[in-house]
Amino acid sequence: MDKKTRDDLLKLFQSKLDEAMRLYLETCTRCGVCTEACHAYASMGQVKYIAAYRHEIVRRIYKRYFKGRGRVWPAVGEAKELSEMALDELYEAAYSCTGCRRCMVYCPFGIDTQMLMSIAKLLLIGAHTEPEILTMLADTSIEKGRSLALFKESFLTGIKNLEAEVVKKWRMEAGETAIPIDVEGADLLYVALAGAHSIVPAAAIFDAAGENWTLSFFEAVNFGAFVGDPTKTRLILDRIVQEAKRLKVKEVCICECGTAFRVMKQLSGKQPFEVSAVTEVHARYLREGRIKVDKSRFKKKPITYHDPCQIARNGGVIDEPRYILEHLTGDFQEMSPDPRYNWCCGGGGGLVALGEDTLDFRMKSAKVKVDQVKATGAQILATACENCHTQLSNLNDHYQMGVDVRFLSSMVADALVQ
Amino acid sequence: MPLERDTFLVFIRAKEDSVEIVYYIVLVPMVYVALAIFLAGIVIRLIKLFLEPKHPTTLQIFPERRPRWLWALHDTFLLPTIRRHKPVFWVVLMLYHIAFLLLIIGHIELISEIKPFQIIPHKVFLGRGFVGLVLSLALLFFLFRRFVSPTRDLSVPEDYYLLILLFLTVLFGSQMDWARRWYGYDSISVESYREYLSSLLLLKPHISTDLTAPGHSFMLLLHVFFANLFLMFFPFSQIMHSFFALPINKLRRG
Repeated sequence: MDKKTRDDLLKLFQSKLDEAMRLYLETCTRCGVCTEACHAYASMGQVKYIAAYRHEIVRRIYKRYFKGRGRVWPAVGEAKELSEMALDELYEAAYSCTGCRRCMVYCPFGIDTQMLMSIAKLLLIGAHTEPEILTMLADTSIEKGRSLALFKESFLTGIKNLEAEVVKKWRMEAGETAIPIDVEGADLLYVALAGAHSIVPAAAIFDAAGENWTLSFFEAVNFGAFVGDPTKTRLILDRIVQEAKRLKVKEVCICECGTAFRVMKQLSGKQPFEVSAVTEVHARYLREGRIKVDKSRFKKKPITYHDPCQIARNGGVIDEPRYILEHLTGDFQEMSPDPRYNWCCGGGGGLVALGEDTLDFRMKSAKVKVDQVKATGAQILATACENCHTQLSNLNDHYQMGVDVRFLSSMVADALVQ
Repeated sequence: MPLERDTFLVFIRAKEDSVEIVYYIVLVPMVYVALAIFLAGIVIRLIKLFLEPKHPTTLQIFPERRPRWLWALHDTFLLPTIRRHKPVFWVVLMLYHIAFLLLIIGHIELISEIKPFQIIPHKVFLGRGFVGLVLSLALLFFLFRRFVSPTRDLSVPEDYYLLILLFLTVLFGSQMDWARRWYGYDSISVESYREYLSSLLLLKPHISTDLTAPGHSFMLLLHVFFANLFLMFFPFSQIMHSFFALPINKLRRG
């Protein structure tokens, strides 16, 4: 690696340093309590998947270039040059970590592995060795925000085609639009994913609850966050923030997508609107009696719920899905006695978005998740995140678990009572 | 053979002198240097850290509990995550940290008598020798833990150096305590330590022969030598977790 490249990469590293990051970089005592926390380690038993081991890959470079000690006496902390080989290690560490932050619940200090891996991901972007597809997807999202007019027509036509499906689930009053778009002064802006499964059930429930809502032009998913590019993450987020402000909505409701929810909720800062997960909104409708569901709809099959890491442990939406499930079944089986310790599905951090490339690793690293689901004896596996749903479906096929993997929102929509 | 005898005496005297010089260097200037590095290092590192911008988003883990600062204190001092996942390790860690606290109090009492500490009446050095014993055994436990995978694969040289350094410091320090308590060896008294340490504190360093003459003096020499090394290494090492543990735990609590 030439000097110029290295200096540029170190500038990127520097840009990630703040008080929290320094604490995460400087406090670890390598006590090893985090060993069993990572699902990849628990499933595969390889040392490189231990949280502290992943940290050290980043920390060694930090010690070498940002601490005096690493220059004077590098051996004592195994400080390491930033080289091509180091980049390979960073890739391996960052793209085998789903950012679920389960290790944070084991660490006596609460060191955030996802944060440390964000340094690795940024360095990979700087060296142009990140997974290209994620950057391409992020760029597409940003482009869509810049030239909305180009996409508008085809989007509106696509949505029109979905309205019939919504009406099938929920008979509307005459003269109402099943999927309202671009409604200024709506109470709620719903940000979905590109896909009928993310729009149709949600629309039926909003309509059933008599919500004054409008559908966003943009998809919620933030590929900028997956690839760890702070600038792109912000640009993708800002499209939605601008739209929400333009339409003067009171609430932005994020579809079943963990990353989108956490980024919107925690990164958007102080705004004139509230941010909520669609699960929270559905629980609210049930609590207020705005929608009613048929408890016998799922034929008394045992149901379990997988807490998406970014929504539960990292986003705080924990009680709401359980409240909804109480209304959907009398046979709810809890997966983990404490939701903080729920195993990650193994699909986060952009791994699912990388598709076939990561499939083998995703299947091997999530063995513990499969065991956890099996132990519940559930026949329906509900979740509230697109990535989790894809990964759990892959696991279901691969391990022949024989469960029905469902989105919680679609279960609510299916059980709606007129 | 008067000449030969004289040469011999000169040689003995020179040797005594050089031993005295070593004692002096370790017990006086090296202590000052170590303390200066220790204090300045810690202060500079803390200032540098807290001058960094705050992270713009929350880094907390849910479900949250309030008041957050109280739970952060709870996490910092009771190590609940370790209690849950590694109960044996937790017991040793708690014993170790409590003993370390008692050890600091013990050393303060070696500077001068402090009334409030005598709420529970005790002889100086407190702990009846068990503080040092607990520390030594705990340090060996921590060290041997690192020889076993997977902790072994995570460890870097620093981790071993620090534990060995601490073990040597504690061992020689405790030996002085044990000698007085358990083997009835009392040629270095608490008063001798107080005289030496308070003279250091008042910047009028004085080493009496009470400290350097007895057979156990080399224990003191080695104890102070390793302690000096430890203090000098402290601000540059992960032992800084003693200062970072609270703010970092606060981040997790939000």
